[in-house]
Amino acid sequence: MFITPKPTLLWLQAITCNGNTHSFLNHPDLFSILSHFEIVHHPSLESSYTMEDVINGEVPCDVLILEGSFIDEGFLKAGVEVSSLIHTYATKAKHIISAGTCATFGGIFKQKDPENISGFCFDLEEKTSRYDTYASKLISLPGCPMHPKWMSYVLLMLAANKKIAIDNLHRPVELYGYTVHTGCTRNEYFEWKIDTKNYGLKEGCLFYEQGCQGPYTRGSCNKILWNDISSKTRAGTPCFGCTEPTFPKASLFHTQTNMGIPAKMPLGVPRRAYLTLTGVVKSFKIKRFTTRLLEYDE
Amino acid sequence: MKSVKIKQLIEKIEGEAELDFTFNDGLIEDVKINFGFYRGIEEILRGKDARDALVITPRVCGICNHAHLLAAVDAIEDGYKKAGQNIVLSSKAKDIRAFTLACELIQNHIKWFYMTIFPQLEAYVEVKSEVNYAMKATYLASTITKALAIFAGQWPHSSYAVPGGVTCDPTHLDVMQAQSLVDESIRFFEQVITGLSLDDYLGIDSVSSLGKIEGDFGNLLYMMGSHHMSEIGQSYDRFIVFGECGLSKAGKSIVTNVSNVDVRYVKEALQEGTVAKAVSYKERLYEVGPLARGMVAKTPIVKSLHKRYKDSLLTRVFARVHEVALLLDYSKTLLQNLELDAPSCTLERGTELSDFEGTGVVEAARGSLIHTTTVKNGLITNYEIITPTQWNLSHGNEKEQGIAIKAMVGSKTMEEATFIFRTFDVCSVCTTQ
Repeated sequence: MFITPKPTLLWLQAITCNGNTHSFLNHPDLFSILSHFEIVHHPSLESSYTMEDVINGEVPCDVLILEGSFIDEGFLKAGVEVSSLIHTYATKAKHIISAGTCATFGGIFKQKDPENISGFCFDLEEKTSRYDTYASKLISLPGCPMHPKWMSYVLLMLAANKKIAIDNLHRPVELYGYTVHTGCTRNEYFEWKIDTKNYGLKEGCLFYEQGCQGPYTRGSCNKILWNDISSKTRAGTPCFGCTEPTFPKASLFHTQTNMGIPAKMPLGVPRRAYLTLTGVVKSFKIKRFTTRLLEYDE
Repeated sequence: MKSVKIKQLIEKIEGEAELDFTFNDGLIEDVKINFGFYRGIEEILRGKDARDALVITPRVCGICNHAHLLAAVDAIEDGYKKAGQNIVLSSKAKDIRAFTLACELIQNHIKWFYMTIFPQLEAYVEVKSEVNYAMKATYLASTITKALAIFAGQWPHSSYAVPGGVTCDPTHLDVMQAQSLVDESIRFFEQVITGLSLDDYLGIDSVSSLGKIEGDFGNLLYMMGSHHMSEIGQSYDRFIVFGECGLSKAGKSIVTNVSNVDVRYVKEALQEGTVAKAVSYKERLYEVGPLARGMVAKTPIVKSLHKRYKDSLLTRVFARVHEVALLLDYSKTLLQNLELDAPSCTLERGTELSDFEGTGVVEAARGSLIHTTTVKNGLITNYEIITPTQWNLSHGNEKEQGIAIKAMVGSKTMEEATFIFRTFDVCSVCTTQ
């Protein structure tokens, strides 16, 4: 019987907090997903090679997962520049997955040294010098951290040899075609332009005052839920736009407004359309949306 | 006398570290611990809105992000109080924060138990069991972080704690779901980890009854006992705890003498050759973490182990696993007593202060975590983070070697020394931030 060897999987870290590693470890089907691959190295799971082997450049690599922001010079592991390791394995790999916002766009750690730190193939939204070399095999999974099921989607699509439809930033459209607003339990309050009165309430929308970026942030967070049970906005926390190239913006708990209207519109919505709708809904006062949810009675 | 230097790369410790061992006459006499990359979170925070720390600081660490959030919010609340703003958290907000922190600690300890200690110990004693320990770890870790996420929205990297309370507004249904997940975690602890009911396990208060423990923890204790791990890994027998929570109280313990502490005497210093800063309390080095918490709180079984085996590797490992049981019991109690009718957030919107300085302290998985924020005109002018691993893994000062180094000195082999090193639950990313 002929047995096809499993594709080899290498999870390599640059400037990171390990958040994507731990996010993925939370996947309920982790080991069945990984069973399609041979894990040659991983930051915490047992692997067939040591970090020293990885550093020596000797490890096979069909699928490269990159976690963390990229810097050309100054970050060494056992005396070797991490950037050179990344180039070695990115060249070998058939597929490159940038896991998280740091690896994809630069993320939080870019802010320490904006001139030199970036994502691997993107620097914010701009293509880096590495883009042309690696673009043909690049899949972007931004998110701080990325959702574990975004990673499993990509891995299982690759294992099944299926083509992944991506957008111009190489994000899979099946994952990032949605906004975080999709599926938010506060949607009725958004529709009727009802702001939440404070933190710690089920009622009200966080978009108008509290800085929620859900309506223009890409990601299926509220469709598939975090830890299979909740999400930031469901727990009353604004979405901070952590999947976006601009993450993290300033004043994350505060909505920038122009004349009382949020400065940034929901994804794809013209300002005029938004203002028209707002004018209409604000002309009504609907009792249910000004009453506590569990106390309302017709 | 023959002196030999050997370099060793240590991996799977939330990043990597390089240890430079100096052997003299076949025994380790010194170790230099070098961590990789300084990410500059404190610098990144300067110039940002005070509350942005609630989003940025969790990104110090993928495994203890929640502790950073809670230290950050505690620092802001402390600053508000010192500036004259009265903040009284509701019992609900306090209990929910305590619950989610407990969940994160359980997640951490269990990953360390199964994904660090078991494989490393098996390799060290040359046993290969073929057990998928990571599967056990991730089952329990994902179960308990799901309970956390019911309140905090997600794990890792939630920002649900805000000045004055929490952003969630849970119902009885939410609490019931969390209770079920805690019960499932307790079942796992009973059936897989100890082979004892949680009550029976918690009844163990002296070394003489350790033989009752079965399951994976029983195996671990057996392996450690039969390889004389009660005799290695001792450090200075000096412990410190700054965070007050249901399980811990602040204080320091020297040998067995417990006394008060004040966070103002904590000093941070740059060290040569590594990007990690060293920390001391009144010029002396202290160990932080579960063993420190057990010693200061005088947990009976930890005291009993300490009486017989001092601050050895066995005592240190035991204290951390034991904390899982205490945390499971504690989190169950917290949920049972949660006062859902109390407000989630007592600070009114628009009452944020723009000039203050405050310090927040939280007992994270690896020990005391301290955040200090200085805010002027609403913006952070200075931010200081002292992580637990900075205590345990510093090089030391002129007078003495660092805590973990002291524990490794005297070892005959690098294998023994690196195993001792890992029992401190090393976190590379926290140490260098």
